[in-house]
Formats: sequence, C-alpha cells, structure tokens
Amino acid sequence: MIHLKDINKTYQGAQPLHVLKGISLDIEKGEFVSIMGASGSGKSTLLNILGILDNYDSGSYELAGTPIWNLSERKAAEYRNKMIGFIFQSFNLISFKTAVENVELPLFYQGVSRKKRHQMAMEYLDKLGLADWAEHYPNELSGGQKQRVAIARALITRPQIILADEPTGALDSKTSVEVMQLLKKLNQEDGMTIVVVTHESGVANETNKIVHIKDGIIGNIEENLDHNASPFGSGGLMK
Amino acid sequence: MHDILTEIWQTARRNKLRTTLTGFAVAWGIFMIIVLLGAGNGLINATMKMNSDYLTNSMEVDGGRTTMPYKGMKEGRYIQLNRHDMEATETEFTENVDEVGTCYYTTAIVTNGENYKSIQIAGVTPVHTQIVKTHLICGRFINDIDVKERRKVLVLADSHAKELEPKDYKTLLGKNVKVGDIQFKVVGIYKGNNEGWGNSFSSYTTIKSIYGANTPSIGSIEFTFHGLETDKANDDFEKGYRRRLNGAHQAHPDDKRAIWIWNNYTQSLQMNTGIDIIHTFLWVIGLFTLLSGIVGVSNIMLITVKERTHEFGIRKAIGAKPWSILRLIIIESVIITTIFGYLGMLFGIFANEYMDATLGHEVTDLGVEKITLFVDPTVGLDVCIEATLVMVIAGTIAGLIPAYKASRIRPIEALRAD
Repeated sequence: MIHLKDINKTYQGAQPLHVLKGISLDIEKGEFVSIMGASGSGKSTLLNILGILDNYDSGSYELAGTPIWNLSERKAAEYRNKMIGFIFQSFNLISFKTAVENVELPLFYQGVSRKKRHQMAMEYLDKLGLADWAEHYPNELSGGQKQRVAIARALITRPQIILADEPTGALDSKTSVEVMQLLKKLNQEDGMTIVVVTHESGVANETNKIVHIKDGIIGNIEENLDHNASPFGSGGLMK
Repeated sequence: MHDILTEIWQTARRNKLRTTLTGFAVAWGIFMIIVLLGAGNGLINATMKMNSDYLTNSMEVDGGRTTMPYKGMKEGRYIQLNRHDMEATETEFTENVDEVGTCYYTTAIVTNGENYKSIQIAGVTPVHTQIVKTHLICGRFINDIDVKERRKVLVLADSHAKELEPKDYKTLLGKNVKVGDIQFKVVGIYKGNNEGWGNSFSSYTTIKSIYGANTPSIGSIEFTFHGLETDKANDDFEKGYRRRLNGAHQAHPDDKRAIWIWNNYTQSLQMNTGIDIIHTFLWVIGLFTLLSGIVGVSNIMLITVKERTHEFGIRKAIGAKPWSILRLIIIESVIITTIFGYLGMLFGIFANEYMDATLGHEVTDLGVEKITLFVDPTVGLDVCIEATLVMVIAGTIAGLIPAYKASRIRPIEALRAD
C-alpha cells in the first residue's frame, strides 16, 4: 500500500534542518501501524508526506501504486480526497458547520449530490453513534464526539488509508481508549489500513506494528500483535 | 451553485460582524457617490434652468460711469446712451449684429379700480422676447405696430396682475388700467421670473415719449448677433464696439466701466466651463469615495482570508482544490458586495428623491431675486448601476489577491495557522 524509499526532507531556513534522513518503509494493505517517536523526531513530517500535505526532497513514495512526486495542488487535493482519510489531534472540524455538514464536506469536493452525501454522512454518523448529534455544531460536542465526527469525515470517502496524527492528543484517557478501540475495530472489521503517529506508548501499544523513529531515522520496527509492547502491558493505561 | 450559496450563507451568518462591516463599506461608498452626484446634478440643473431663459447669442449694452480721465475730463462722468450709439450699433457692426432693440425703464403707479401698485415698466421693442424669453400666460407681447404707433399697451407680469386684480388676474386682459394718469390697455400677461422679480412691459416708443421725451438718453441697447464663436472673437468684438461707443462719448477707449456690455454668450460659455468643472470635481470626489469603499472591502477581504486560512487548510486537506477555494472567496465577495451595493444604491436613490422633494422645491430668497438652488437633484439609473458595478468588480479584484494567496498556500502551512 505504502512504499517509501530513502525519503529525505530538509526544512530550509536560517539553519537548514534535516528532518528525515533516508526513511524507507513499507506498509501493506490492512495493517494497523503506529509511528512512534519523541517530539522533533520527524514523525509528523513523515505523516505529512504520507498524507501529501507536504513534499519531500528526494527518494520515492508510492501510494496504492501511484507515484507521489511533484504533484500539482489540484492533483494532490484529488488524491487526498480519494485515497486518504485524515484524523487530526485538534480534530480540525469547521466551526460554523454542523457535524453532518462537516462529514459531508469531502463528498462535496467530489461533486456528490446534496441528498446522496447527506444520506451517506448520516449513515457514517449513525455507525459511530452520533446520529443524534448530527445537527450540532462542533463547539456543542465533547472532545470524543468531535474526534468521532472527524473519523466519520475521514471514512466517508472510503479511503485506501487512514492517517491519524496524535488522534488522542487532545482527549482524556477514557475517550482515548474509546477512540483507539474504534480505530482497532475499523482495522479488524473493515480491513482499513491505518497509520497512527503518536508519542504515547500506550497508544502505540494498541496497534499491530510499531515503527520507532528517532532523529529522522527509523529505528526498530516492532511487531506487536500481542499488544504488550508498552511497559504498561496489554489493557494498560494510555496516559 | 446551491451548495456554494449555502456555504456562503453559512459563513455570512456565522461571521455577522465581518459581513456587516464589508457590507457597510460597500453600501456607504455607493450611497455617498449617488448622493454626491445627485446634489451636484441638482446644482447644475438649477443653474442651467436659470440661464435657459436667455438667448445666448445676445448682448445688452448700458451707459455707465467713466473710471479713467481722458481728453482733459476727469473720471466719474456718467455716460448715457443716445440715438447715435443706436445708429452706430445698427449700421457699423452689421457683420455680426442682427437685430437691435432698445429698452427704457421707468417706474409708475399702476391703478386698477381700487388696487394700485408701483411697477417698473420696461419700454421694449419686439426683439426683447428673443433675448429674454417671456412665457406668456395669456394675450400677446409687444409687437412692431405697438412701437410704430406708440400704442399705450401693457404686458403685465403675473405677480403684478395678481395684485391689481386679486380675484382673477386673467380678467385684466383687454381691460384698461391707469399708468400714472394715462390709460393703458393690458394686452398680455406673462409668467414672471419667480415671484417678486421682473417688470411689466410696454412699447419702447410709448414709454420713451411719455417718460423720457426731454432727455437724449435712449435707455439701454440690446441686440442679437452671430458669427462670434470663440472667447477671442467675442473679446475682439466687444473691444471694437466699446472703442466705438467710448469714442462717441469722449471716454478712454479702454475704459470698461463707461459702457457696460453684458455678453450672454460668453456668460454662458463661462457657465458651461463652470458646470464642467463642477462635474469633473464631483466625479473625482465620487471616485475617491468609491475608492475608499473599495479599500474598505479589500481590507476586510484580506482579514477574512487571513482569518480563514486554517479553515482553508482543513478544506484542502480533505480534498478542496485551489480553484474551489478561490471560487468560494470570489463568489462570496461578489454576492456580499452586490447585495450591499444594491442596498446602498437604493438608499442613495431614496436620499436623492427625498432631497428632490424637500430642497428641490425650496426657493432661496436672495433679496434681489428668488432662486431655486436644487432642481431635480437625482442621478440617472444608469450611473447608479454603473457605480454599483464598478464597486462590485473592484471589490472582487481586491478580494482576488488575498484569495489567490489563500488558494496557493500549502495545506500544511494553512493547517498550522490559527
């Protein structure tokens, strides 16, 4: 699904910052992977490159067989829309749109008819147990609800891959568990490929594979099917 | 399109202050330009109306007082026009002068039964109606036979007639009234140039023979002319004419006060220049007002786009193409400026109509005469629509730059912005 080969990324500035120093990574379809590292390790940059939100300097990146290199904004937007579902730490819902309108938005950019996309959005909200909150604005929802709306928005285009950037970063431990369970379920039941970026070992522990990244280089890649990588162990506290 | 409208409605509703400010800037710009141009037009119309009663190709000449010593005579002598001046005007300037008339003013008590009034009567020749338009209400004006036969006829101003016959002034027509001690027949009544001003008319020969028989003064001369198209031609003619008349009265050839020349043509030329200047001035001010409105709009567009960068980042992350962002901003700015521009236009037109209904009918009393300062202070609908269009287009172009920037910004940067 994802083939990264020798990705390099330097942020130009007064002092050029070499953030990614030759990242090579393969993620297969249906995998539930976490990228773990301290802040400044380059994990967010890596996720942005995976999400075609940012470009890289050298190397090669293939997403579902499509080479991602030097895309126009238009093309990049199209790929993001069709292939990738984003879940952000700060939810990134549009404040003046209701939950259902937020979920509809990706379909709006696909040109899906109003009726159809409303119906689909309601379906996804229902699936995530938010049907009753469809007409509420984000500021009327709890953090967990907001993140579930964001997940519904990420899922509605049936993307190839879900990219989650610190999905539990703004949530309390209880909702963090709920959100991770939800992602796990999506992976197990729908076979969704999910990449989670986190610095919390508890979160990483919920995933099946943990990619450790440090100073722009991939350290070890841990198979974690038993979910005991975290010092807290299986079912342990996340925070 | 429905989706975009919904989007815009949502953003406008959720950002009331911003929308109101943008709208106010636009509406105010349009309102000001329309009111300004309307007021200017009112002023111009009033001036034009006041002058429309004068034939532009005409001059009036009257005696004055010398201001330069000449040929051993001191300044300050009074000059009166006489028969020779009249002859000179008629015979020596035929290249330009067409018809020559004379005018002799007197004031007399006019009595009709119990009503009497002191009235200024101008003894005129028929050419007078060509030079100063008189709008007859009934009857006729002084004609050649009146002048030839020294008929005792009177053309009354309506205001005079109303005082002499308060019940129904039109019944005066054909009646005899007493001017001094002499019976005159009322042959016409005309609409005076606003209340209180103006005089009644009689035949020149009649008035001159009754009230001016023993002076050589012939009153004033008035004539129509042709072939003087430019300021310079008029100037040259006036110079030559003045030299000739001044010479006959032993006044310095360049003395401009010895003989008064009132040239309606150069007056109207100057008036036209003045009107042009007012017009240009108004447009310049109007355009600057519009410009300030545009600056206001673009300023707010700039803030809007800045404020919404994060939102655009989200939209881009979930698949908005640059063009759809650009389109959203442009359509939003077009719709908002159009709606508020239209509102401003309506208010402007309304204000003009109000001005027309109040100031437009108000007569300012200057003592000597009463004038209307504003006549029809309105702007054509075409100008209103043009101004609104300019505003909408300019507002859009102003919004385009920040919108373009917003559409170009990389989603990763937009998402970081807050």
